[in-house]
Amino acid sequence: MASEGVGVRSLPARAGIGLRSPHVAEVLAARPALSWLEVHPENYLGGGPAVGALDQLRSEYPMAFHAVGLSIGSAEGVDRRHLDRVRGLVERFEPALVSEHLAWSRSGGAYLNHLLPLPYTEESLAAVCRNVDAVQTALRRRILIENPSAYLRFACSTIPEAAFLAELARRTGCGLLCDVNNVHVTAQNLGLDAVGYLDAIPADAVAEIHLAGHSANDVDGRTLLIDDHGAPVDAAVWTLYEHALRRFGAVPTLVEWDTAVPPLEVLMGEARQADARRRAVSEDARAA
Amino acid sequence: MLGLPELQARLAVALLREDAREIVGAVASDGLSPAARVAVYRNHVFASLTDALAATYPVVCRLVDRRFFGFAADRFIRSHPPTGPCLFEYGGGFPEFLAGFPPCAGHPYLADVARLEWTMNVALHAEDARAMEPARLGEVRPENVGRLVFRVDPSAAWLRSPWSVDRIWRTNQPGADFGAIVDLTTGPVRLEIRRRDDHVTLRALEPADFALRAALGAGASFEAAADAATAEDPGFDLAASLRALLEEGLLTGFSLHPQEGGPPS
Repeated sequence: MASEGVGVRSLPARAGIGLRSPHVAEVLAARPALSWLEVHPENYLGGGPAVGALDQLRSEYPMAFHAVGLSIGSAEGVDRRHLDRVRGLVERFEPALVSEHLAWSRSGGAYLNHLLPLPYTEESLAAVCRNVDAVQTALRRRILIENPSAYLRFACSTIPEAAFLAELARRTGCGLLCDVNNVHVTAQNLGLDAVGYLDAIPADAVAEIHLAGHSANDVDGRTLLIDDHGAPVDAAVWTLYEHALRRFGAVPTLVEWDTAVPPLEVLMGEARQADARRRAVSEDARAA
Repeated sequence: MLGLPELQARLAVALLREDAREIVGAVASDGLSPAARVAVYRNHVFASLTDALAATYPVVCRLVDRRFFGFAADRFIRSHPPTGPCLFEYGGGFPEFLAGFPPCAGHPYLADVARLEWTMNVALHAEDARAMEPARLGEVRPENVGRLVFRVDPSAAWLRSPWSVDRIWRTNQPGADFGAIVDLTTGPVRLEIRRRDDHVTLRALEPADFALRAALGAGASFEAAADAATAEDPGFDLAASLRALLEEGLLTGFSLHPQEGGPPS
């Protein structure tokens, strides 16, 4: 687990939800029974009501930060100005975990607002390790790195993604966030074996699991899965989630929903289903 | 084989300029053309940034309709990609872009509506600040009053337009009377935009009051701001206006201009 300073509540090994702006007022008013919340720090780097709401929520729920803009895959390094702002927010709110993606979004000073793919080479590994070191040093804590959804593979890649993540964790001491939906999406889009991918992830490094929905699109006669976080968790992903739980043990799980955001109750229903699957897997393990 | 910096620069170009020629050779096909795979990323970049602009500029989007807005946003994103990862900070150059965008030439008020929406967005996310205690002005010797340089609420801004952009904005809010016709000839307007109690407020000011507040907001000394106000209205009641600024909590602190004509300390 990430280093836990004074006042940091750790996350329960239950399912939380990714808190998005359409639900903030409702959660503040009704204080529903949510195991924990995850937010994108990039949405809270100003002042005003958004940050005020986060202050109130922080005292009520365990919370994690899930960054999307640190661009730890950029060859040009981490944007120090942005990192300083994130550090300020982390120091203020002391989230239980901080995570980011194995991806990049910044090149030549432009931010492309997407989790862009890396070639998996020794050069990339060295760059990502440098950047993760820089983030962990600035934040003075271990962070988690999440596997992205991929729609392409670079021909020059020489290292399987799971092995790349394993080596990243070994060299930097970072933990891993295993997004089971992303494993499924990437495996389908690139013709990989999802179970084999999970089996190649070092189980002791995994400190969080993500779940979300995706959509299936026809592109030139071939089905491509798009990680749009706009649907319930797919049946195949639930099955893969159970395999992940058997591999990684009971770790905090998060359900994300970002496009066509449904009523809060629907998201809570997904979290309850994740909890039910976790209980079933641990009962099976005891019975065996 | 491309090095990582070159590969990232080429993919960035492929995404922003819709020209994948320089990158497709580096992408494995795996049963689908590299160009189609790159296009998946491009679609997301443009769709998500267009959504971000539409969230910041909902009234502009309503005025020109979503399809035209998407067209304008596409051109804007190509030439002005984000320079930071926070979407609420993206799009400050959109009003200027619209002002010079030939297809918008028939809507001369559009860029000012966009300026208003951007100013309101900045106000919403501005840092919180505490109003100064009015009694603190008692520390200032009377001969130094003209040299006062106030700090103002960071959410406050002043905007002038030849068009009634405040009416256009109000008429295009959810729940407003969409059938209402806005008389564009009732301008010019002088507006104060400010966040109060978590809500962004918008109000019209008289010319002299506007001149005073806008000058203070720009960091002018109290004397220079007062001169700007009396130039608009020789009968301007400066003392009453200062009281109003304090009562409204607009002022958050002050320093003294080091000397007449010099920069503020």
